[in-house]
Amino acid sequence: MIGTRKSSGHWWLYAILTVCLVAVISPFVWMVLGSFKSEGELRQSPPTWWPEAASLDNYTQLFSRLDFGTYFANSIVVAIVVTAGNLLFCSMLGYALAMLEFPGKRALFVIVMATLMIPGVVTFVPLFVLVANVGLIDSLPGLILPFLVSPFGVFLMRQFIMGLPRDLLDAGRVDGAGELRIFARIILPLCGPALATLGILTFLGSWNNFLWPLVVAQTEDTYTLPVALALYSKGQNSTNYGLLLAGATVVVLPVLAVFLAFQRRFIEGIATTGIK
Amino acid sequence: MRRSSAIVVATIATTALALSACGRDGGSASGATTEGKDVSSGKATGTITVWAMGAEGEKLPALAKEFEAANPGAKVNVTAIPWDAAHDKFTTAITANKTPDAAMVGTTWMGEFAGLGALDPTPPSIDKSQFFEGAWKTTEVDGTSYGIPWYVETRLLYFRTDLAKKAGFAEAPKDWEGLKAMAKAMQTKSGAKWGIGLQAGGTGSWQTLMPFAWSNGADLTKDGGKAYNFDTPEVQEAVKYYQSFFTEGVSDKAAPATPTTEPDFASGKVPMFISGPWMMSAVEKVGGAGFKDKYSVAPMPTKKTSSSFVGGSDFVVFKNSKQRDTAWKFVQFLSDPKTQVKWYQQSTDLPSVQSAWEDPAISSDPKLATFGEQLKTAQAPPSFPTWEQVISQFDTELEKVTKQGADPAAALKTVQQQAESIGTGGQ
Amino acid sequence: MSVTSPQGHAPSRRPASRSGLREGRAAWALALPFCLLFLTFTVWPVIQSLFMSFTDTRSRDLKTPFAVNVVGLDNFAKAFQDPLFLRSAANTAYFVLVGVPLTLVLALAAAVALDRGITRLRAVFRLGFYLPVITSIVAVAVVWRFLLQDEYGLINTVLGWVGIDGPNWLGDPDWSMPALILMAAWRNFGTAMIIFLAGLQAVPWSLHEAAAIDGAGAWKRFRYITLPLLRPTILFVSVTTGIGYLQFFEEPYVMTNGGPLNSTLSMSMYTYRQFGFGNYGYAASVSYIIFVVIAVVTAIQFRLLREKD
Repeated sequence: MIGTRKSSGHWWLYAILTVCLVAVISPFVWMVLGSFKSEGELRQSPPTWWPEAASLDNYTQLFSRLDFGTYFANSIVVAIVVTAGNLLFCSMLGYALAMLEFPGKRALFVIVMATLMIPGVVTFVPLFVLVANVGLIDSLPGLILPFLVSPFGVFLMRQFIMGLPRDLLDAGRVDGAGELRIFARIILPLCGPALATLGILTFLGSWNNFLWPLVVAQTEDTYTLPVALALYSKGQNSTNYGLLLAGATVVVLPVLAVFLAFQRRFIEGIATTGIK
Repeated sequence: MRRSSAIVVATIATTALALSACGRDGGSASGATTEGKDVSSGKATGTITVWAMGAEGEKLPALAKEFEAANPGAKVNVTAIPWDAAHDKFTTAITANKTPDAAMVGTTWMGEFAGLGALDPTPPSIDKSQFFEGAWKTTEVDGTSYGIPWYVETRLLYFRTDLAKKAGFAEAPKDWEGLKAMAKAMQTKSGAKWGIGLQAGGTGSWQTLMPFAWSNGADLTKDGGKAYNFDTPEVQEAVKYYQSFFTEGVSDKAAPATPTTEPDFASGKVPMFISGPWMMSAVEKVGGAGFKDKYSVAPMPTKKTSSSFVGGSDFVVFKNSKQRDTAWKFVQFLSDPKTQVKWYQQSTDLPSVQSAWEDPAISSDPKLATFGEQLKTAQAPPSFPTWEQVISQFDTELEKVTKQGADPAAALKTVQQQAESIGTGGQ
Repeated sequence: MSVTSPQGHAPSRRPASRSGLREGRAAWALALPFCLLFLTFTVWPVIQSLFMSFTDTRSRDLKTPFAVNVVGLDNFAKAFQDPLFLRSAANTAYFVLVGVPLTLVLALAAAVALDRGITRLRAVFRLGFYLPVITSIVAVAVVWRFLLQDEYGLINTVLGWVGIDGPNWLGDPDWSMPALILMAAWRNFGTAMIIFLAGLQAVPWSLHEAAAIDGAGAWKRFRYITLPLLRPTILFVSVTTGIGYLQFFEEPYVMTNGGPLNSTLSMSMYTYRQFGFGNYGYAASVSYIIFVVIAVVTAIQFRLLREKD
């Protein structure tokens, strides 16, 4: 794979990495273990590690009280559409900004970067009023459209594509390919790692989005998973930690799945053609 | 070049025009109390949407079914919303005119929502004397009442009876000296690390301090309820007393922002604290079987009187509701003493209607009965729209007083100055 | 449309203008979907909020957005006169200046170790190091509060073994910020790491092989081959981490609520509280102050790390 490097001599690296790994994943492990504990045990100080009497109570409560199927479906649909939209539209514009010359290019890039730097909280209420006025309240499109493209995605794709050799473009043009074809057939396949990264980050952001789905939904049928979980685990003055951790564990599973599915693209990478 | 400069000029001109079109009208009539329009008699009809938070939102539909059964033709659609960011949901909904017909609203939000002109005044047919006085005050903004108090909570002194006995105290402290003496004795004789857990300033600490101020007869408003009034001898005395717990080593001034109240109470490390009714089940869960006999609750120690903070939730009808009549009939249903008792049994939320407390379901529990006693004298903070902003200044100053030993008199002067510059936010 | 496009002054390497036109048209075709959505859902709200920041809008005025007083730069001036805002700005600067380099170093080290250093179990380490990013903040907070506990916390226990009396991390105004920086770096380096991993894929192994044959050691190869080729990625990670950290909110909100004594109050928390109080005009202006700071910091980073082609 990487030729003649001695892979065994790096045992010390493995050792360090393993120690770091254990340290890094401990809250995650605690979260999963905690979902099997009772409320009283969860409030202990210092916190306990292994459950004293592990039980599935929190999970049975979670699935019986929540209309899980509806919320899960809403979250999945929104996250998939938002991710797909971002992968497509952001790479299109990222490519144009990275490799093509056109009037308004610099201004467009500046505007995109500028909005990336504006704190989201300031546009929240005007955006809500806008969405309400166009009648998208309490609907899935209302959850999807404002996030279908993101300046972050454009920036990421632009930076990545700038690292690809320009000769690819000329080679394509010499071969008589149209601009869009060059994009679709030559550039895009080389963007595997960047698309995988953008896909994971966009999915994560959309999946965990709480505040926007909360204010846009008017009926519980439009709730996404984070909103529903907050509903059942937080009270006016107290929190139901067991439900909260069980919910957090369930919520993290699709993100893990997406991560595992996309990260294979890191390995495939571009040990492929095109780079002279 | 010319095209872009033309665009720039056009943009500036449009902006200037738009800005010059702005401006407020002269002030509208202030403070006249409004009476709600009355509600028709007879059965309710039509469909209303209701928002309720958290567990209450989950349990309300069952209660609503009884209302529907008694009023055929009426339908109540309950949407449960999470407590997390519920305030934001309400404010954005009010802004975009997407409010429900009725909703449950936290008591500390009433001033703000009424100030936004979103709420409908309470019709005179609803009798206010049936509620606890402090609870009713939470619905009053600028002299007008909006909605009703639905359920209430108040803050009491929690203490470990077994550790108190060990320290030589057979009953709860009755006054301020007694409280401090008992806390100190628990440290020396019962092995407690800190005598009592008090919040050392920071967000929300006013809810622990104000009971002392109110017990000392403080009035947080002046000029007939039209202005803030923090810099008074009564409040100062309370703050000095509060500070003494920290300077004398009875309370921990370096406690983390998220306190470990329940395990500390169960282990005896901090055997006293001040909080509301929800802590009863919380400490019993941590304390395990039999713990409920090891602790008790007591009214706030008396200085001039014994007073505490009253909170909970009110139930309001929104002004632009198209089913106003039905909504108010639902509210009336919720305030009926029998419904209040039923609600307690389903949710353990304490009733706001005084006669509901006579029901054996509630009166048989001695700890609950103590909450009922305190509710008779508990007080609510003034319902000015700027309360949250002003009281956060108070929390900041209180933190300096408890953690850095700042002078209470100077701190209160600062708070009063800031309160005056922020204003009450009334029209 | 733009005066800054190099189109008009294109050097002679551009072929005849006809293909330039084709290129321009294709570019706008590619840009169109983004621009439409962007103009509607991003630019319009931004214009509205920018307008609000020059007025004394309060929450009750949102229904009648023009019935407000235009106060010009008053809001901005008010912010700079508020000691609480200045404190939050100092806290944020501290957080960014220490936190961003720390996060980047951790992420790059992890990425290089996973990409080149080890051959087995890469997927396990990749996933493991990314887990903090997706773990619920509640679980993270509980575990970190335990770690940072004064008496029995893990960090102070370990420090005690080497004879250091660890401070009350979350209760001491001087040590609360370092604690949060550590926690934030721990939490966020995973995201930077996977972006670095993607960027490292673009460094051709053939270059490394050639250099190794010429006798260059691992560190030299890293400095002279990997780092330069990684420049656009480093710029991206640095800018996005910087933008994220300048708006840090969750860690202080959950762990310390801005305390003790406002030592961990961030500019975002300050703004959030002002929105909560209903001071929309003022809060909008503070948000745009944050924007200007972010823009300046980003511009500096672009300058320092600019692509050299």
